[in-house]
This record gives sequence, C-alpha cells and structure tokens, in this order.
Amino acid sequence: MHDRQTVSLDSLRARRGDDAAGHVFFLLITAAVGLAFFIVAAVGVDVVVEAWDILANRLWDFLASPSSADEAKSGVSQGIRGSALIAAFVILTFPAGVGAAIYLEEYADDTWLSRLIQVTVRNLAGVPSIVYGLLGVAVFVKGLDGLTGGRSVIAAGLAIAVLVLPVIVITAGEALRAVPTPLREGAYGLGATQWEVIRTQVLPAALPGILTGTVLGVARALGEAAPLLVIGAVGFYTTGNQDFVEQLRGAFTALPMNIANYARLPAETWRGHAAAASFVLLVLVFLINLVAIVVRARISKRLGR
Amino acid sequence: MTMTEFAITAGVKAASGTGANDVFTVDGLNVFYGDHHAVSEVDLAVKEREITAFIGPSGCGKSTVLRCFNRMNDLIDIARVEGTVRYHGVDLYDEAVDPVAVRRRIGMVFQKPNPFPKSIFDNVAYGPRVGGRKGNLDEVVERSLRSAGLWDEVKDRLSESALGMSGGQQQRLCIARAIAVNPDVLLMDEPCSALDPIATGVIEELMKEIQSEYTIIIVTHNMQQAARVSDRTAFFTAEIDERSGQRRGKLVEFEETGTIFSNPGDERTEAYVTGRFG
Amino acid sequence: MPTESAGLSAEPPTVSLPSVNSRAVGAVLEPATFLVVAAAVAVAEHFIEGPIGGFGPSAFWVAFWAMAMWSAWHWPAAQTLASSFSGNHLAMLDGRPASPLTLAARELTRAGFLYGLPLLAIEKNIVPVLAMMALSGFVIAKAPGRRAPWDFVVGTVVIEDFGGPAAVIERTEVHSVADLQLNESRNRQNVRARALVLAFGMTSVLVSALIVWSIFSEAWEFFAAQEFSWSSLQGIGWFPRRGIFDVWTLFIGTLWITGIAIALAGPVGLGVAFYLSEYASPRVRRTVKPIIETLASIPSVVLGLFAISFITPQVLQPIDGSIGFASLLAAGLGVGILTVPIIASISEDAMRAVPMELREASYGLGGRRVTTSLRVVFPAALSGISAAFIVGISRAIGETMVVYIAAGGSGGAVLEYDARNEGQTFTAAMASLGAGTDSVAGVGIAFQSLYALGALLFVITLLLNVLSDAIVRRFRQAY
Ligand SMILES: Nc1ncnc2c1ncn2[C@@H]1O[C@H](COP(=O)(O)OP(=O)(O)OP(=O)(O)O)[C@@H](O)[C@H]1O
Ligand SMILES: [Mg+2]
Repeated sequence: MHDRQTVSLDSLRARRGDDAAGHVFFLLITAAVGLAFFIVAAVGVDVVVEAWDILANRLWDFLASPSSADEAKSGVSQGIRGSALIAAFVILTFPAGVGAAIYLEEYADDTWLSRLIQVTVRNLAGVPSIVYGLLGVAVFVKGLDGLTGGRSVIAAGLAIAVLVLPVIVITAGEALRAVPTPLREGAYGLGATQWEVIRTQVLPAALPGILTGTVLGVARALGEAAPLLVIGAVGFYTTGNQDFVEQLRGAFTALPMNIANYARLPAETWRGHAAAASFVLLVLVFLINLVAIVVRARISKRLGR
Repeated sequence: MTMTEFAITAGVKAASGTGANDVFTVDGLNVFYGDHHAVSEVDLAVKEREITAFIGPSGCGKSTVLRCFNRMNDLIDIARVEGTVRYHGVDLYDEAVDPVAVRRRIGMVFQKPNPFPKSIFDNVAYGPRVGGRKGNLDEVVERSLRSAGLWDEVKDRLSESALGMSGGQQQRLCIARAIAVNPDVLLMDEPCSALDPIATGVIEELMKEIQSEYTIIIVTHNMQQAARVSDRTAFFTAEIDERSGQRRGKLVEFEETGTIFSNPGDERTEAYVTGRFG
Repeated sequence: MPTESAGLSAEPPTVSLPSVNSRAVGAVLEPATFLVVAAAVAVAEHFIEGPIGGFGPSAFWVAFWAMAMWSAWHWPAAQTLASSFSGNHLAMLDGRPASPLTLAARELTRAGFLYGLPLLAIEKNIVPVLAMMALSGFVIAKAPGRRAPWDFVVGTVVIEDFGGPAAVIERTEVHSVADLQLNESRNRQNVRARALVLAFGMTSVLVSALIVWSIFSEAWEFFAAQEFSWSSLQGIGWFPRRGIFDVWTLFIGTLWITGIAIALAGPVGLGVAFYLSEYASPRVRRTVKPIIETLASIPSVVLGLFAISFITPQVLQPIDGSIGFASLLAAGLGVGILTVPIIASISEDAMRAVPMELREASYGLGGRRVTTSLRVVFPAALSGISAAFIVGISRAIGETMVVYIAAGGSGGAVLEYDARNEGQTFTAAMASLGAGTDSVAGVGIAFQSLYALGALLFVITLLLNVLSDAIVRRFRQAY
C-alpha cells in the first residue's frame, strides 16, 4: 500500500497487459472499420478488374452502343438514356418534395393532418423499393396507360420519382430545421410575413442543404433497379424510326437494369459487361455525390458557420 | 390567484395611470408557456419618446413581456397571452390586428446580433423591400446607417457581407435595419450583452441620440446601463408559486429611473439594485 | 386606409426586382416550358407529316430550343458581366459581391451545363442539334441582362438594378385596429403559399393511399382467385407459374438472407459506430465517416455483381468448394454490406447523443475507455442501437437486387434449408415474377401472387418501421 506522500511515478503509469480488455476491444472495432474500408476498396477494384477488358479497349463504343446479343458490340447507351430520363422525372418532383418539407417544418401545427403527413412520409421512406414497382404497375402502367403507354420510361420515371419523394422531403426538412432561429426572428421583427420569411431567409439559407438532398435523391434514383424490373424494363430493345414520344412510351431500360441483365446471363463472358456498366454507374453516382459535398461545403462558408 | 395577492406597489399604480402620450398600456398581462405560468399580472404604461428599461434577475420574464409588445410570442407555439396590451389605445391582441403590421411599427433588436447572411446594403434594405418598397433604396439605406452611426465605417463596403463585421458593428447594423422601416418603437432585448464595453458605450450613446425619434424599451442585466440611459425603469422578479412550485415572473416596481436606483419603494428592488440579490 | 398601402401610393416607376422567388420559379418554369413544348411538337409530329417531322427526336430539340429562348427573354434576374462594374448595380453572388472573374467562371459553367448536357442524349442527327444550339447560344449571349435559371443549379448570380429612389416609409398614426392590418396582396400571397405547400404535403398521403389500395386490392384478388386454395400454400417450393405458392420456401430464404446480413452488418456496424463515436478524433472522424458513407451510396445492383464476382469465388469457394455460382450465403453477405452503413450511422447517432457528463462521470471514477464504451455508452444508447438493428433488418428484408442477382432461383425455388444452395426471398421472387415475360400481360394468378407478396412485405416492413420509431421516440424522451 502506498502512502499518500510517496506515490511513485511507476504506479501511475499504465502497465502493459493492464488494459488487455481495452486492447482487444480496440483491435475489434479497428478491424470492423478496416473491414468496411476493405469492402469499399474491393468493390472498386473488383469492378475495374472485371471491366478492364472493355474499359481499356472499347469504352466509348460501350457507352455509345445499344445492348445487343453480340458481345463485342453490346453497350449501355440505352441504359444511360433511360437513367437520364428517370433522373429528369426525379428532378421534376423536387418542388413537391420541398413544398411538403416547408409545410411540415414551417407551417404545420400539431394537428392530426400534419401528423398524418409526417407519419406517412416517414413510413414511405422505409417501404422496400420493389413495392414502388407494384405501385407503378397498378397506377402508372395499368391505370394511366393512356398517358404513359404502359410499361414505359414514363411509368418508371414516375414510380422512381414517387420513391425518391420521401427522401427529398426528409433531407429538405433537415436543411430547413438547420436554419437558425435568430435569422427567422430577425426577419419577422422587421415585419415580414411568414411566407416572406420563408422565401427570403429560410429557403436561401437552406437551399444548399435542399439541393444536396435532391442530388442524393437523384443518385439513389440512378441506382434503383427493383421497381424497374417489376414495371418491365427490358434487357435490350431495338430502336426503329420512332419519334420522341414513341420512344418515351415504348420499351425502355436503365443502367442498373443493364447491370442486372448482364450479371444474370449464365455465360461468365458477360461478366465484363456487367462490371463495365457498374463502373459507369459508380462514376455517375460518385460524381453526383461529389457535387453534393461541394454544395454542402459552400453552405457552411456562406452562412459563416 | 387574485391581483391583490400580488401586491402591486403604489409606484406602479401611479406610473401605469393612462396618459395621453402613452405608447403602450399594459393591463393584467399574463403569459403562459404550455402550463408554465411564466409572467403574471403585469400592469404598466410606456411613455412616448422615453427610454424604458426592464431589469430583474434571469428568468423573471423580461424578454417574455417585451415580446408581447410586438407579438413575437405568436411565433412560439406553446405561448399564450392573457390580458390587454394597448398600443396607442388599440388592443394589440385584437383578432383583426395583423402581427406583421404590428412588427412593422414596433421594431426589435435581439440579444445576439443576427445580421442576415447578405450584404450590408441588403440587410438594411430588407425591411423596406418586404414592405413592398421598390426602386432605389440607397437613400433609405444611407439614412438608416447614419442614424445608427455606422455610415462612415461601412460606406465603402456596402456590398460586402454583413457577417464580416465586428460584433458591435453587427448590432448597430441590426439597429439600422430596424430603423429602416421607420418604426415608432424599438424593442431591445439585452442589445449589449454580447459586446465589449466600448461597443456598449457606442450603442448607449446611439440610443440617447435616437431617443428624440423613437420610443425605446430595453431589457438589460447591466444596472449601470439602465441608470445611464433610461428615463423609467421596471423591476421584475421571479417568485416560486406555492401551489405549482413554478417560478413565476412579476412586476415589482415601475418608477422613474432615479427613484428606482436612489429611493426604491420596495425592499426587493433595493436589494437587487444594491447587488444584494439576484 | 390601411397604412401599408398609404405609404406605397407615391411610388416611383421601378424596375421589377428579381427575387429568390422568381429564380426558383424560373427553375421550375424552364423545364415545364420544355415539357409542354416537347409534348406539343411531338403530338404535332405524331399526326402531321410536316416539315419538322424530318428528323428523329426533333420534339426534344425544338422544345429545348424553346426553353432556352424562354429563359433568354423572360428571366431578367442576372445581368451581363459588364454591369457589375457600373455604379448602380450590385453584382451579388451568394450574398457577397462577385468579382468579374468569378462571374466569368460561373458563366462558363452555366454554358457548359446548358449546352453540354444535351450532348449526352444525342443519338442521331447531330447537325440540326448543333445548329440549334449555336443559334440559342447566340441569342442568349446577345440578350443583355438575361440569363437562364440554370444558374439556380450552378450558382446564383443576381444583379439588382435599383431604379429610381424608393419612397420613404412614412409614419402614420394608429387610431383603430384598421390601422394595424396587413396589406391585402401580401396577406393573400401568404395564405396561398400555405395552401400550396399543404397540397404538396398531401401528395405523400396520396401516394401512401395509392400504395395501400393498389397492393391490397390485387392481393385480395389473389386470395379470392379460383386457382388459389390454401392448400397450394404448402408444397415443395415456390413455383408461381405452376400454381405452387409455397410461401414457407420464401420465408426460409428471407430468414437466411436477413440473418446472414445482420450477422455481418451487426458487429461491423457496431464496431464502426464505437470507433467513430468513442475513439476517433474529430480529424480522423472527418476522413473515416465519408468512406463509410460511400458504402451506402453503392447501388445494390453493383453489390449483387460483387457478390457473384468476388464474394463467391474469392471468399466462399476457397472455404467450401461445393458452393455454386449462386447461393443464399453470397447474397446474404452482399445484403450485409448494404446494411453496414445503416446500422453504423444510426448507432453512432445514438451513441453521440449520450450526454458527455455520463462519460465524464465514468472517467472520473477511473473507468477506462473500453469500460466507458461498453458499460456506460452502450447501455445508454441501447434503445437507439436496437432501432438501428430493426431498421437494418427491415432494409435487409426489403433488399431485392442483390438477392435477385446472387441467390439464383429464377422462375422458382425448391424448399431449401441450406444457405450454400440457391434460394429466393420475398423480394427476389417478386423481381423474378416481374422480370418474366409472361407477367407482362399483367393478368393471371402468377401476376397477382406478386401483389400478395408485396402486401406481405409492406406489412412486415411497416411494422418494423413503426417499432423502431416507437423505440426512438421513447429514447428521445430519456434525455
Ligand atoms: N420559448 C419558451 N418556451 C418555454 N418556456 C419559456 C420560453 N421562453 C421563456 N420561457 C420561460 O419563461 C420564463 C421567463 O423567461 P424569459 O426569457 O422571459 O426571462 P428573462 O427575464 O428574459 O431572462 P434572461 O434575463 O435570462 O433573459 C422562464 O422561466 C423561461 O424558462
Ligand atoms: Mg431574456
């Protein structure tokens, strides 16, 4: 036992083996982080390795050609086109999502109506994506086939837009909530109406956050395949001399559909095509995420936080 | 709980007698946050072109009362106001009164400077613009900045972000911003609490200068400040309510500033201003 | 007379100012113009073999051109570079004065966006497209003070012209409540804005109602159909096209996938959460967290491919050679990868919400970091962590593409208890049904069985979400 006056430095020093549990625990959680890192790297490397043949030899051709039964000619131009159109539909729902978020964050009192909206938005965000495919078939493919032309990119775009809507509502809501109260109070104090406060202070301050949310929603939409499968995206189709509307209302595919189809072909020789399409999709998604990051960095700078 | 139980001093009664030049007359004001009865039975009258100071310990409801004057409490969902607040004889809480129109006339400056993340110019021009003012606001902006004593410091960088200014400058910008809509009353909630003594002095001088144009109500924790700038002082305190156990704010004494500081009518006031309490 | 308008009466003629609002409206109106014109031209082209019917996607390009023109003439928000030098303008970029150089950079970005994007969509007939783009570019460049709302996307350039001096706001006396009223038009605007956003809010309710209605009405038809009998729910496997709806098969598959996924994602996700919340310095956290988040942004099809091209041959087959091209095991691991970031981020939030005082109390008593993490933070965050697991389970159950690609079993699946073999989950079965050509007709009992599964899936995930919500709500009250 140590006397209070004579505590030796040694006794305060952590001894080896003293904290064995701590070391094991630290090792375990570091291993978890390491595994997560490894997976990220492995996905990237695996895709590039598998796709190398195509990336190195015929990248542009791959991007510009439609799918075909000929391995040397098959590409993803139809998929890119379909995905771009689907993304366009998602962007069109942006005002609806932001509007809903404004209602929930700025206007809604604690009434049954606003609680209903809140609950449905939250639950919609948790509904598996394939269920939106069922919705798409029932409502957009069968119900509105006069408009959509049945199993078309219009129906798919609408279904994916509906899928992304709760994501936009939730992220836009977070962005709106992050707007500091003093900013609102300052504007109210000068005799601005609620709408003026929202329009001139809250929305501009939240805009980068809202855009980030939308951008992430678009990235999500680009990668979503399950609803398209149900709605009836096809592996490949042939384009005749159709006009724009006929194309919109006709057969369609999308990048993730290309990947799924190539990947499920029994012959392993098509694996490279799946990987190359994945590479294109990953690059697109990461570019989009990059935009989101840059935008978010700007919000902090601009608001002086 | 009746009014008599909350004994109101003779001084308060005298001060709250309605006069022709009263901007605000408050009668039996009670404010609730949910079931928290935060302020009870306040009566007072604020005179035109005077500086009225609210002092008292933290949590006694000074800000709460102040925010009743421009209906800022409407923005808090759980806040409820009872009693009457008359502005030039018009009941501010009448159903037909629009709080937005009220706030246009009764401006507010907050504890922490809260400039908008815009240019200095746009900050000052904000009020007139949302009020529907179109066209060239240079003149309005210059006049407001001059009144706030800021013009010479910022005239060359009007288009720079207001967030780049010092704290004291930001607070004066907020005053200029409030002045730009030409209000009748300025409510200031601890406008100097985030500032150093020099910036505080500047703002105090500013208040004295613009006093000829505006009726000012200021909340402050700084007793010297109240003594220096105000014409009349209201002392609030918080007492534990026996039944609910909640802290409830009340007005103890409302008198000319000189009286409050040299010859208070209530011992609690005396204890507070001499620093023995709160 | 209401004072608000009294002050306005002496207003000089002014240039109307573009507000944030008009920019936002522009950003919506421009694509809207595009869609309307595209529809009109396409309809015309559809019926009339006319002069514009000559080249393929002409509707797109005519509409695109119309949109650009619309922007050029109707959107007076931004001004040319030159005006940023002149005295009566403030060239503002995000609330700060913009240097001409910045404006020029923005302009380049904008032009690249406006003219570069459509290049992606080109499939044929590049010549008329380029011609039209050149024309648009010329018109827009020649229209001073006008810019397209694409600025809304790439950055906001607002140059405001203040026109003549504004009227001074006069003080008016207050005599009655009539003097404290809002001017009519501002009031109306306020009320309308509220109604509009409420309508948008209602769309989510509408969507929910549509989902419930569409799924359950078809599911009902499945159970009411003649071909269906409850005895067909038992059997040797899931073969909807042969009228064998052995849901048990899919249930076992789903159980395997979810179990394997959580077995991987649970420990890894928790470990990552502990690391980020309790061990990592802010600087390390800033680099580690985005990498973990990267995992969340990998599309599930890509992970499906990863499962068959990496997990199976590089990880599973070396351990057990009998595992084939597709297996529940590989698919489960793929789904697990998707679930890691979900469990990690929700658990981390829960751990970070644990008050610092609790940790300090533990350290003050001589507790080590591991003790503090496991004995103090973990119990305090337990409800949040359980919510994380429930959300993870719900996500794993709902995951489709990984299983569809990596677990095999197209067309149906035999009842299988061994995860090393092929199998199907609820979702993968739905995907196979949807992908099959015979479901394209959208009729028949096989198609309706899709909805019966969808209804089941919807109910399960809804219950899980409600549960996790309830847990999180209780957990919020705790602090
Ligand atoms: N938004 C609110 N919600 C609930 N209670 C509130 C709210 N604002 C104030 N209160 C309560 O009302 C009482 C009075 O608060 P108020 O802010 O008016 O005090 P104050 O005198 O201004 O104090 P300080 O000097 O610290 O600013 C306090 O008990 C406070 O907790
Ligand atoms: Mg206060």
